[in-house]
Amino acid sequence: MIRVGLQMALNSGREALTRLIVTTLAVAVGVALLLAVLAEFHAFQRDGNRLCWECTQGSALPGALPSRGEAWNYSADFYQGQTIERLDVAALGAGAAVPPGILRLPGPGQYLASPALAHLIQTAPRDQLGDRFPGTLAGTIGDAALTGPNELVVYVGYDPATLARVPGTQWVTVIGTGPGPAVFTPFFRYAFAAGVLAVLFPVLILISTATRLAAARREERFAALRLVGATPGDISVIASVDSVVSAALGAAVGIGVFLVVRPALAAATLTGTRYFAATVTPTAWGYLALLVAVPLASSAASLLALRRVRISPLGVSRRATPPPPSPWRLAPLAAGIALFFAGILATTTRGIGPATYPGLLVTLVGLVIAGPWLTWALARLGGHALGGAAPLLATRRLADDPKAEFRAVRGLVLAVFLGTIVGVIVPAVESQLATPSSTALSNVLLDTFVSLNGGPPTLPAAGVSALTPDGLTPQAGAALVSGLRSVGGTTVYPLYSLPQGAGPNGPPGHYIGVVSCSAMRRLAAFGQCAPGLAAVQVFDVDQISSDNPHDSAKPFVSYANPAYDGSLATLPLQAVLVRVNNAATLERTRTYLALHAPPQVSAGPGVAATPPRTYGEAITIRSGRVLVAQKLFDLAVALTIVAAGCSLAVSIGGGLVDRKRPFTLLRVGGTPLGTLALVVLLEAVLPLAAATVAAAGIAYGMSALAVIRLAPPGTPVPGLNGTYWATMGVGLAIALAAICVTLPLLGRMTTPASARFE
Amino acid sequence: MNTDGSLIEARDITKSFGQTQALRGASVAVRQGEILAIMGPSGSGKSTLLHCMAGIFPPDSGEVWFDGQRLDTFNEAERTRLRRTTFGFVFQFGQLVPELTTADNIALPLILNRTGRKAAYAQAGQWLDRLGLGDKAARRTGELSGGEAQRVAIARALAIRPRVLFADEPTGALDSLTGEKVMRLLTGLAREQGTTVVLVTHDAGVAAYADRDVMVRDGRVTTDARPVRA
Repeated sequence: MIRVGLQMALNSGREALTRLIVTTLAVAVGVALLLAVLAEFHAFQRDGNRLCWECTQGSALPGALPSRGEAWNYSADFYQGQTIERLDVAALGAGAAVPPGILRLPGPGQYLASPALAHLIQTAPRDQLGDRFPGTLAGTIGDAALTGPNELVVYVGYDPATLARVPGTQWVTVIGTGPGPAVFTPFFRYAFAAGVLAVLFPVLILISTATRLAAARREERFAALRLVGATPGDISVIASVDSVVSAALGAAVGIGVFLVVRPALAAATLTGTRYFAATVTPTAWGYLALLVAVPLASSAASLLALRRVRISPLGVSRRATPPPPSPWRLAPLAAGIALFFAGILATTTRGIGPATYPGLLVTLVGLVIAGPWLTWALARLGGHALGGAAPLLATRRLADDPKAEFRAVRGLVLAVFLGTIVGVIVPAVESQLATPSSTALSNVLLDTFVSLNGGPPTLPAAGVSALTPDGLTPQAGAALVSGLRSVGGTTVYPLYSLPQGAGPNGPPGHYIGVVSCSAMRRLAAFGQCAPGLAAVQVFDVDQISSDNPHDSAKPFVSYANPAYDGSLATLPLQAVLVRVNNAATLERTRTYLALHAPPQVSAGPGVAATPPRTYGEAITIRSGRVLVAQKLFDLAVALTIVAAGCSLAVSIGGGLVDRKRPFTLLRVGGTPLGTLALVVLLEAVLPLAAATVAAAGIAYGMSALAVIRLAPPGTPVPGLNGTYWATMGVGLAIALAAICVTLPLLGRMTTPASARFE
Repeated sequence: MNTDGSLIEARDITKSFGQTQALRGASVAVRQGEILAIMGPSGSGKSTLLHCMAGIFPPDSGEVWFDGQRLDTFNEAERTRLRRTTFGFVFQFGQLVPELTTADNIALPLILNRTGRKAAYAQAGQWLDRLGLGDKAARRTGELSGGEAQRVAIARALAIRPRVLFADEPTGALDSLTGEKVMRLLTGLAREQGTTVVLVTHDAGVAAYADRDVMVRDGRVTTDARPVRA
């Protein structure tokens, strides 16, 4: 029987060959998509499990330098919007631990850079980048220390006495070997899980649809085999072999397709990070599992499908037509929406109501459960509302088996739902970050010299003498401001510390700073002094060091601030705001600060400090996290729509083969080909469009409500951005194109001249 | 009407499929309201003759005349329109759309001919009542017996009041008793409407319902088996 099955699959005429090719191609597309998702997830996991040398924890460096371990100062810097991880290090004795990616610590006057940073140092003007690192480039850092080929990392060697004087320097004896802190990992893991689910469903459906292609025609042949004595068991074997052959071929071709596109996938920065090409691959088990699981699953699907029909020697008969879906299928959806509303009612600008997330999840599941009923209802409604023969034929078929029709677009519902939620929330978050104030300050760089957030002490035991608890000493501060002004293209606005005990006579509050009113006039976003004042005292100024531009760009000066009549030259320098005229000036300013101002200290193990950066960069970095999520969801939506489109195309192709006879006879009876083409299009487009509109509509309503409740009063109702519409548009266009591919098949298959009536 | 008084006429038509010559100069004429049976052994070319007369495909040579017009010179769109508006078809099986109900199937050609939806279903209901299938209007055709399905097919073909009904082995898939019932219905309704019928069969019993029958052998119409019934 296996031989008969092989012959039916491989050597059974043009129709069987066409079916084999179409099935193989569809399975190949599905397998390639699955492998791509697995590969990206593998790279993401490998990155998450990488040894985190940045997480190394040390202790305060003793005044008398120990003779073992190393002096270790981990900080961060920026160059053209990219973060540079910087480790200043000095061996305190022989056998000091070596961080990953190098064989020995750089000596004083040497530094080692990651390949990407080394390239930048060699190509960028020295005063914009290279001068930040004292000494000479002595080599490159290996992959073990890096997330991907684009990562910028530098190890700078020092003599211990010099490094000990730099704020934030610690004593390290053991380098961290654990995985990195899960700051954004859960966020991405959820995004990945949702993305994988969104893609997985339609891909599996595509594979199962493809392997069931033209089932009715096959079943007719099986009936003929029964007539000549084949048992039901024999039929099962033949059907399994038939499915396994095409699925195995498809899996093999799919792996080949994936291997061809893998370099392009590795070069893409889907999660905001470019991974090493070697990690963007499924494991060997992943390949093997697909090679085995896809044929097995298709065999199971084939056998399951056979259970739905009775194949006797006299022909094939369907089991009874399934009853229409029950309206009870709407109950989970209604419950989910109600739960979500309950959560939203309890949501304020300070927090999300506890029922919101379960409500979202139940709604998602509810949409999938309600789908067949919605398809059935739409078909019934369409059948009544739309006149003409084509809608009659199409809507009757949709209503006949809404479960099967909805199956092809089920994954789409998931992807569009999640994609729309992200598509609403991302612009809302962006609009919150890019406030008029923060946008007006986009080319203003901020560097602070005191810890204002109650973070770790900025001043180690062996701190530099220029640094005091209130900031840089007046002399050091004046020198820094003067030096910054000497960098061409800058305008420097100093923010001074008010000496403790010099209390003002203004409104209540803890006055901790002093600013000149001329600076405030030129930095209008921070507010204005009362007319006629030269300088004012400010309080609660710690907001400017927040990493959220929505907070850090809020005004902190008003007419109510009391005057400061003393000399600014005698006050410690708390922070500087530097307006730069272009990107080169920005990098030159940062280079100057790297060489002349104390570095920012990390807030904890594995968490890079906030280096001097502009408000524009802060907006970009912060919104970048949500943009990565949006990118992932957009990709999932696009892939899902494509997979759903392919499923529909395959399903339509199979449906055409199965309905060749009635369609041909309708043409013989004078039905125009255009009418039949419209039938095919409607059958495909109605569930596709309905699923997209329903999922997007519900998701938009829910996420818009959430944003309105969470955002400050007056925030406009969020809209969907161009990326979202482009993704949806392109995805649907590809899906429609896939559907249209089947139309020429309709013309050829149903030509009246090919009709056989006996 | 054609010049010779017939409604539809094939004149010396030939048709080949690859190397196989199905028709080798077949000629036959059918008068308005006449029921003609085309008989012949399997592979004789009788179905091909019917297809050429119905405009399903044009002959390679020869002429097909319908109501004074050269049907064989019509393009595909014109032939499609003619088949939709003027001809009806009944086949051995499979012409009904399985997802549609019996009422839908009968209403479908009317809707295709731009009859209003309500009127189309009203007519379909009348036909079902006449055929004794009124209680099965909402049934899908896959749930009907063979005889019931053929009665629906006849109703569907006659619903547009065609001038010619082409029937190709309409009882081929039925038992003899059901076949007789179906033939009585088909010919009775056709006579009632004055519809011309071209009936292809290899069954003499079925051909007996015709006014006249012809024999096709080796692609030629060889005899008028019986004279025109008075």
